[in-house]
Amino acid sequence: MEPIKESPVVRHEREAWNEAYDRLVNFLHTFALGDHVYVSQLALDLLHQAQDLHRRDSTRDPVTQTMELAQKRLADWLAANLEEQDTAPSHILATGYVALLLSQVYRTAPASFLASPVPEELRQALRETLLVTGPDLNVSSMTPRHLDYGPMLQFARQTWHRWDAKEFGVALLFWAGVYTVFYWWLSQLL
Amino acid sequence: MSTTNPHTDDFVVRRSVFLGLSIFLTATGVVLMLNSYSGQTMFWEDYVCVGVFPLLFSQIAVGFTLALFGFFDRLRGGDRHHIMRGPWRAKEESIPLAATAIVIPVYNEEVGRVSKGVANMWRSLEKTGQLEHFDFYICSDSTQADHWVEEECAWLSLCQKLNAFGKIFYRKRRHRINGKSGNVADFCRRWGKRYRYMVVLDADSVMIGPTLVRLVRAMEANPEAGIIQTQPYMVLGTSLFRRILQFSSHVYGGLFSEGCSMAQMSSGSYWGHNAIIRVAPFIEYCDLPLLPVPDPGRRHVLSHDTVEAALMRRAGYGVWIAYDEPGSYEEGPPNLSDMLIRDRRWCAGNLQHFWFLFARGIEMGSRLQIWIGLMAYLCSPLWLTFLVAGCFGAYFRMRFLTLSADPEDLGAATTSHHTGFLVALTLVLLFLPRLLGILTTLPRARQFGGVFRLLVSAVLENLLSILMAPVLMMFHTLFVLLTLSGWQIKWTTQNRTDMGLPFIHCLKLYGWLSALGLIAYPIVASYLGGASLWLAPILAGWIVAPLLAWVTSGRRMGMIFKWCGLFVTPEEVETPPELQGLGDAGETREGAAASPLWVQALLSPYVQAVHLSLVRQGPSGSGEAAAPSHGELRERLLREGPQALDAKEKLRLLWEGETVFWLHQELWARSEAQLHPSWIQLQAECGRSRLLVDYLMAKG
Repeated sequence: MEPIKESPVVRHEREAWNEAYDRLVNFLHTFALGDHVYVSQLALDLLHQAQDLHRRDSTRDPVTQTMELAQKRLADWLAANLEEQDTAPSHILATGYVALLLSQVYRTAPASFLASPVPEELRQALRETLLVTGPDLNVSSMTPRHLDYGPMLQFARQTWHRWDAKEFGVALLFWAGVYTVFYWWLSQLL
Repeated sequence: MSTTNPHTDDFVVRRSVFLGLSIFLTATGVVLMLNSYSGQTMFWEDYVCVGVFPLLFSQIAVGFTLALFGFFDRLRGGDRHHIMRGPWRAKEESIPLAATAIVIPVYNEEVGRVSKGVANMWRSLEKTGQLEHFDFYICSDSTQADHWVEEECAWLSLCQKLNAFGKIFYRKRRHRINGKSGNVADFCRRWGKRYRYMVVLDADSVMIGPTLVRLVRAMEANPEAGIIQTQPYMVLGTSLFRRILQFSSHVYGGLFSEGCSMAQMSSGSYWGHNAIIRVAPFIEYCDLPLLPVPDPGRRHVLSHDTVEAALMRRAGYGVWIAYDEPGSYEEGPPNLSDMLIRDRRWCAGNLQHFWFLFARGIEMGSRLQIWIGLMAYLCSPLWLTFLVAGCFGAYFRMRFLTLSADPEDLGAATTSHHTGFLVALTLVLLFLPRLLGILTTLPRARQFGGVFRLLVSAVLENLLSILMAPVLMMFHTLFVLLTLSGWQIKWTTQNRTDMGLPFIHCLKLYGWLSALGLIAYPIVASYLGGASLWLAPILAGWIVAPLLAWVTSGRRMGMIFKWCGLFVTPEEVETPPELQGLGDAGETREGAAASPLWVQALLSPYVQAVHLSLVRQGPSGSGEAAAPSHGELRERLLREGPQALDAKEKLRLLWEGETVFWLHQELWARSEAQLHPSWIQLQAECGRSRLLVDYLMAKG
């Protein structure tokens, strides 16, 4: 019996939904939920919803559509449980993810993830989680005090700012003279 | 604030004896040196030797005097005028503690090791019952995106495990100005007012709770104290090199510190870490001035500690060394190459201190510290000059005598009895401090593996020091010349792993010394004859340098010597709880993916959330979020993968909260065709990233 030939359009669509499923499962795995069966159910549930949406608007890529749906579900779910409706999505998600992490929902109640309604004590735990990142600033002025570097600075400044080959020659001669006298004196002494 | 030293009379006597003895010993050496030339013809090389000798000899005289002071102090049972032995100790427990910050500047360090160190100190403080007075600040200057993101996760994990939210803080500096001193100054500017004291640590430092508590009480009881520096002992080494350093720091280090403390009293040293600092005067008086050099890029003080101590003294506050407070630890460089990298930085820093030597208002004791630090590196080129000039002088003298005198006179003229005295005196000044160190350690020999093993270790340590000294001399000379010729020195992360050096690396780095030794030996032997024996230790050190660096760098040799009971230190015999688990920190757990860590801030919801919370620093903002920036960079990252960005570009992206969030959304929502293939692999591994396994999901 010859295998049934799949049309390129159908194959393409199937591959796109496979990719969407893989992506979604990988994404859900990043939450480290302890209940793997629940993760699979959640993935399938979200995927079916995305497929429904796709039927209405097939111009959009299945991966994008599925992941946008998942992220929106997450943002809405966190906003509802954290009671932060007016906050920008990036802030809601950051606060919510930290709350999930610190309350250890992923470990203690994985089946509550994206569930509605969630148990009241879990909602409470999510809301009570507060990440203290740093104490309030208590600004001091710390500036260097004037320090007089003394005679070496004067000497150095004169050397750097008034560098002259003639002067250097004179200095060299002077020290050569001093050294000669020193040499002579020591040889007499010893 | 008074600038006088407490117990002034006593202090004057000590300072007089210290300086007097140092000068007397130096003068004795110089006289013996001059007398050794008596009746001989002087060559110009001899004048160079005569010129350099007093400077060189003064250094060993100062070292000897410090050790002698330390030994005397130990014999009499400690200094009763020392700040840690004041009358306050009788009512120590009743002194209330003040708010104290423990500041840990980090710069691309081994994150697991740092966080385990913090956890151990936390638990140690918890046991004292005084934890409420202490806050921890991990102040990061890391320039690698992987380190940054890992530090954030490690911080959260620490806070979670220890229930330390609001007590352990993490701060990443956006603009890394002025290295470590700038990092500490930034802490002072932001939060300094909240604390009366801060304990500055290095990334590898550990201090035990009781010592931290006692230091705060000492500061409370002595309002004139500005800095109390503890004596940090090197620990946790497994390579032979590090174990030797540990051993010598335990046997000899304390003696010199005790001597320094006795001689300097409240004008002691500050080594930049493992010290408690009074914050208000530090903020007011100790910000580092710029150096008066024409190039603006070189005006920053590299080695800040000595200058800060000098400024604290200048402001009238005391700087003390708490030489016998237990439980102050650090880790040393794991091999010779890493020690040289560190020395190059220190050399550049110490040479800069020259400017402070003659600055007005600096106290005499501080000038002495600066001078000793300066000479620690300048001695190397001076020693090399002395050796080269001495060889030429000896050669010319031998040739002159051979040509002009009777053969019988030759021996008498070349080996004057003054030379013998001088050699004997030099050996005494060099080795007696070591002998005193061993003598003071003998009562605790059991902590060092027993008397026999302690003595064998000491002999071996001395032999290795003799071989390493000429290698250090050559490199330090090079560093001094490089610094003086204006080569920029960059602060680098200190390597703290005992992985060992490849032999080819040792050959490349030290091979020129071997070649120099092998070429110099026959030349010196043929021209100087028997006198060349004096150079044997130096030439031997050069010849074996690659082998020495290689053999001492690895863990295997360190473990063999440990198995033999050699170079044992008290912490190896009985590891204090504060050090437990630190040696194996950083080992990755099985099952964790080894992908780049920084991409987790883009992929993992948890890692990203922690990162955004810290980057935004504060309560979640409301309303409209800012638009993501760095359009070109973002697209390149998505299309070409994480490896398409360089280190600076990664940091730029990570600093922009909205950009990080946008990338997270896009990375998960874009189809495969729109992403670089590496992202698909990273997405699949994201759920078992090392950051999750080691930190965020780690139990206990």
